[in-house]
Amino acid sequence: MSAPAEVAIDVRHLTERYGSFTALSDISLTIRQGEVFGLLGPNGAGKTTLIKVLTAFLPPTEGTATVGGLDVVRDERRVKGRVGWVAAEVILDDEMSAMENLWVQAKLQALGPDWRERGTALLEYLGLGPNADWRVSKFSTGMRKKLEIALALLHQPSVIFMDEPTIGLDAATRRMLWELIQRVHREYGVTVLLTTHYIEEADVLCDRVAIIDRGRIIASGTPDELKGRLEADLIEIETTDRIDPDPLRALPGVQDVRADGRRLTLKVARADEVLPSLLGAIPPQMLRRINVERPNLEAVFLELTGRRLGTEEGPVDMRRFYGQILRARR
Amino acid sequence: MSALHDDWSQFAGIYYREVVKTFRNPWVILITLAQPFMWLAFFGSSFSGLSCAEIESIFHTPTCNYVTFLLPGVLATSMLTIGMFGAMSVIQDKRLGYLKRVLITPTRKSTIFLAKALGATTRGLVQFPVMIVAAFFFGVSYATMSPLFWAGWILALFLLGIGFSSLYLIVTAHSTDWQTPGVLSNFITMPLMFSSQALFPAQNFPWWMQGISSVNPVTYAATFGRNAIVYGTGSWIDLGYLAIFAVAMLLIGFGVYARFLRVE
Repeated sequence: MSAPAEVAIDVRHLTERYGSFTALSDISLTIRQGEVFGLLGPNGAGKTTLIKVLTAFLPPTEGTATVGGLDVVRDERRVKGRVGWVAAEVILDDEMSAMENLWVQAKLQALGPDWRERGTALLEYLGLGPNADWRVSKFSTGMRKKLEIALALLHQPSVIFMDEPTIGLDAATRRMLWELIQRVHREYGVTVLLTTHYIEEADVLCDRVAIIDRGRIIASGTPDELKGRLEADLIEIETTDRIDPDPLRALPGVQDVRADGRRLTLKVARADEVLPSLLGAIPPQMLRRINVERPNLEAVFLELTGRRLGTEEGPVDMRRFYGQILRARR
Repeated sequence: MSALHDDWSQFAGIYYREVVKTFRNPWVILITLAQPFMWLAFFGSSFSGLSCAEIESIFHTPTCNYVTFLLPGVLATSMLTIGMFGAMSVIQDKRLGYLKRVLITPTRKSTIFLAKALGATTRGLVQFPVMIVAAFFFGVSYATMSPLFWAGWILALFLLGIGFSSLYLIVTAHSTDWQTPGVLSNFITMPLMFSSQALFPAQNFPWWMQGISSVNPVTYAATFGRNAIVYGTGSWIDLGYLAIFAVAMLLIGFGVYARFLRVE
């Protein structure tokens, strides 16, 4: 049974284990052709592992995955011939020129002699035309990223995977890259699967987003759909000591309270209406921090997991960390 | 496009990158060429105080010239150490992530293995023409100019290079440590070089060293070259032994890479 033509990626009940560690747990996912799909999640959530499976680099432990109707295990080499890959860390041969990097890539993808024309056009398109014969060691970070994209597109793949495409880039380069990804997607009509832990990036670039945490997809949909699920504001409170969350639940306008040590997350209808009574309910000297989150993907993640995206360690881990320091001192 | 065409294309890409990168660095060329030359100059001169009769009785060289005896041995010995560079190149590719870039294309692991082994062998064979010219200045004379023997000699060195490059690649398949190839080289070079008849004939070896010598592939490359070029009596059985060594190492290497190659 093959997937319908308009499906670019089809993942069914995919589980990936490294020894006893489960990196991906029963993932199912369908991505349509021409979509820009975002995998949003904190570091270590399993995003890169999923890309490795979908580029036929790592066979699944359980379940199946197809790319363009081809099974990543049975049709490993054909899948690899149809996907492009942009690594999180830029991987180029610094000692060779941009054109030589393209040459090697063309050989690895077993392209015909027309690769040169296409490679030159890609470099022009990405604004690297004048630098074609420069050694890559002389390239700036932005130029390297562009060259990586050229390498990924050279063999006209039907899907390209971008693993954290803008990680470690400054704001201006990041914005440049966003524009570039949108342009490439428009003009080359290629399906893009990108991973990111930047909310803004998923919001700007992606048609659809799956939120992935600890190897599981915990929500998916368009960015608007996901934000719409959260018809509420979130108020995060950090206190100097644990407080009883029950009286807060009783406050008018409060829909839910999630307590995690000295951190509370309140789901409220309107933050501006709840705040005055909330501030009355907590002794002022106990308040360390208040943060209001309007509906956005970050808030969705916070709502789903009780943790923020950017930070790898939640409050529980921090406590353990301090505990370890204290024990070490004794 | 046929599968074979693809494999050839991928092989060419990796091999070309390997060779170009090696010889883009002028110091690499210089040192690669200078090293065997220095063997001839320093080690080759260490018996210059002996009389012609003494040299002939020990080394059986017709021309009263130890360098004549040494030349095929030195060329064989350098093929033994040169394989280190293939393994270092793979480890560098692992560390920089480049190997991942290669493996996300349809390239087979065995193709990578073959291209890296041949890349290192090429690096070693470049010494050949230079050494032949250099030997002329040390007064080496050749017993034969038979193209068959000369081609056989080059083939012997090539097979030896493939065999030992494969050994280095096999041992480092699972390693990402820069030091592994160097450590291995230090470990195997000494015993294999001195037991190989590259420097001295086996007749004065103790029995146990003669035993090692008789299975040591370096022996066969050195002996074939010496017999062919110095005495005009090369034995094709030596070449056959080297061919078996090279092919066996390649096959083991393909298997090891398919199963144990560590990528990151």
